Amino acid sequence: MSGVTKYAIGAAILLSVAIATVLGITKDIHPPDVLGLPKVPVPDDNPITNAKVELGRKLFMDRRLSHNNTISCAMCHVPEQAFTSNELAMAVGIEGRTNKRNAPTILNAVFYNRFFHDGREHSLENQVIGPIVAFNEMGNPSVGYVIDKIKNTRDYDGMFEKAFGTPVNLDHINKAIAAYERTLVSGNSKFDRYQYGNDKEAMNASEINGFKIFMGKGRCVSCHTVEAKVAIFTDQGFHNTGIGYTRNNTVYHREPTMPITLAPGITVQTPSDHFDHASERPPNDVGRFEVTENPKDRWAYKTPSLRNIALTAPYMHDGSLLTLESVVDFYNKGGEDNPLKDPLLKPLKLTAQEKVDLVAFMKALTGDNVSKLEKEARDAYFVTPVEMPAASVKEN
Amino acid sequence: MYLTDKFPKLKALTKAVAMAVVVGAATQMPSAIADETSCSPFTPLVKGQEDFVYVWTLGVKGLGDESDKLVTVDANPASKTYGKVINKLSVGGRGEAHHMGFTDDRKFMWAGALDSNKIFIFDVATDPSKPKLVKTLNNFVAKSGLVGPHTFYAIPGRMIVAALSNAKDHGGQTGMAIYTNAGEYVSTTMMPTTNGGDGFGYDAAINPNKNAMLTTAFTGWNNYMMDLGKLIKDKDAMKQFGNTTVMWDYKTMKPTKIFNTPGAALEARWSYAPGDNWAVTTTALTSEIYVYKQDDHGEWQQHKVGTIGDPAKIPLPVDISLVSSGKGLWINTFMDGTARYWDMTDPLHPSEVYTKKIGEQVNMVSPSYDGKRVYFTTSLLSNWDMKGKSDDQFLKAYNWDGKDLKLAFEIDFYKEKLGRAHHMKFQARDLKTLQPLQASTANKLNFASNP
Repeated sequence: MSGVTKYAIGAAILLSVAIATVLGITKDIHPPDVLGLPKVPVPDDNPITNAKVELGRKLFMDRRLSHNNTISCAMCHVPEQAFTSNELAMAVGIEGRTNKRNAPTILNAVFYNRFFHDGREHSLENQVIGPIVAFNEMGNPSVGYVIDKIKNTRDYDGMFEKAFGTPVNLDHINKAIAAYERTLVSGNSKFDRYQYGNDKEAMNASEINGFKIFMGKGRCVSCHTVEAKVAIFTDQGFHNTGIGYTRNNTVYHREPTMPITLAPGITVQTPSDHFDHASERPPNDVGRFEVTENPKDRWAYKTPSLRNIALTAPYMHDGSLLTLESVVDFYNKGGEDNPLKDPLLKPLKLTAQEKVDLVAFMKALTGDNVSKLEKEARDAYFVTPVEMPAASVKEN
Repeated sequence: MYLTDKFPKLKALTKAVAMAVVVGAATQMPSAIADETSCSPFTPLVKGQEDFVYVWTLGVKGLGDESDKLVTVDANPASKTYGKVINKLSVGGRGEAHHMGFTDDRKFMWAGALDSNKIFIFDVATDPSKPKLVKTLNNFVAKSGLVGPHTFYAIPGRMIVAALSNAKDHGGQTGMAIYTNAGEYVSTTMMPTTNGGDGFGYDAAINPNKNAMLTTAFTGWNNYMMDLGKLIKDKDAMKQFGNTTVMWDYKTMKPTKIFNTPGAALEARWSYAPGDNWAVTTTALTSEIYVYKQDDHGEWQQHKVGTIGDPAKIPLPVDISLVSSGKGLWINTFMDGTARYWDMTDPLHPSEVYTKKIGEQVNMVSPSYDGKRVYFTTSLLSNWDMKGKSDDQFLKAYNWDGKDLKLAFEIDFYKEKLGRAHHMKFQARDLKTLQPLQASTANKLNFASNP
């Protein structure tokens, strides 16, 4: 690159930053208060700006962020599927590599103080890079490779400079995507209007009764916290419900046959070992223990928020329960017994109607802006040129 | 929403292309047609001894250069290098190599990668023994919004690329893109999602005599890239298979009838024998054979005509190949590595008459035009193939006397450090020996001309 060209590019970037400042693109955004939700926590070193959000959304939707240009964050956290995947129990990574856990929704993820099912990260910023370089997720060989790739991708020219005043680096990738994820906030549900908006018509009788069960006989609130003025429906804790224990141990005690649904209405009983020769060995999963190495944490997983739960099937850390009804049945029997099961889980003895009401209540937790957030994300994808992914990377 | 709904200019372009297809097809309507395994009826055929078998081979991590490659095998018994690999052309990278298809002049062969979405165009005419990569299309996703370019099917001057998935969610909603032979993108037609359509896609096959195109429906990237054992246990993922087939008006690329075909119908094949006007497919999950035939009123009807193996054991019928007479159908079942020959003399009442275990796993089958030689390869999908000792990867060539398959040669693709052997196509050393589908046809324009 000639000196003149460098000068011209530098001048153009400075000019664009100046224009952006004038237009307010780099001005801090203060997330609005949303009924039922706490204030969005914004770290001092990463205020939200339009430029960051735009950049973060573009990065989030960009398949080129994976090593072979096939997987974006949004391929597992699909906008139209409430930023999770409704079609998979457990995520599928680059080249089809196995992930052992369900891709959680990132709606309202900003309110967590621990990230991933095992809670191994503690900030939105820190959690960004993990999947990007994970061998079985987006598969990039190194952080440096990712930075170089973005640096050499022309349609990112000037975007980091506009958002941060400096060229791309790891800190800014993390901050841009985190800034975007801080905007994925969804409240003002029927429940919020009922509980916090003084609109007693917002929920029907079944939903109201379900709420009572949630707070009382169902004991759900023990982990899915509801406070006086807000509710994020998680205690930010880790619990062993037995799902993880069972999955890790029943493989050795499987039945001779297993039901497989081949098409709607067509289910066959197939020998359980029929696909063994075509199967990799399923990965083990010991939950929170994999982070803390504390034996008490074996098969414990983070309590997920229940907001938008009607949109985020399948459920549990491994996506093993397909419906809210099956989740209620699971907890109604007190989870799966195992030596480390959380003592909070006990048989609930809910009646059929109570179970129906409880599900109705959970369906009242859907935010009022999910479609808008989905559309904003998808629009960013189509705006983003996705041509020539490989050619855009210069070899060193 | 269709892409054309989102982009009015694309809609206009699609209409223009549809009109062009109408005009092009109307002037090139054949009167009768035949088959060389799965070639488009617009492609000239190797009706004599094939000289070469091209094998589109998946790169394997830890093996050789780990890249997908086009392997050329000498298949002429009169040659000194008969049964040997005489050329291998790496495309540099591992992208889930899958299927191939010739252009209408058979001078170029398109080969797709289901993961990287790259489409490679090989010159197979200048020196058929050493194909040359002349163009790589890297814009399939950007242009079409689709993922997983699967079938490459020649129509006059153009290629239909039938896909498996989409770039929004890697699910099964998909469509077909049309490119010019030069590799310029033209348009996208989405699979129908109304009137019983489920939006899934897989294969496409055309009967120009009937202005009919049959398409089938498999599954999206999430499933075809997933480990098979994991997939089988994932109840949500198992819901994401196609359960329809579609008969189209080929000239206008509009669906004319959508059939309920449970269990992921895969390869679509027409019988091009004179007087025949039926097509056949098999379902991967439910192990059924379906035949499509017009009734007395000219309406296409679907008939379930046979069951392959024991469906409860999910033998996974994969590739099929209808012999050129339309009287027999090869069906491979992946899980037991078995080739099955079905007598299709009466297509509505076929029967299995021969089986042979080819290996621990078997996927593709390609008979020669005269039916005397049959080739088999092993790989289905990189993450569906057998693991460990059961992961045979080979090309096996057999002679078929109508009663038994006798091994002619085999090549171990792992021993040769090639990879997973997948799709096969034949080629002649002298392209002047290629013949149009119906040599006796009066108007050569009816078919692709000899080069």
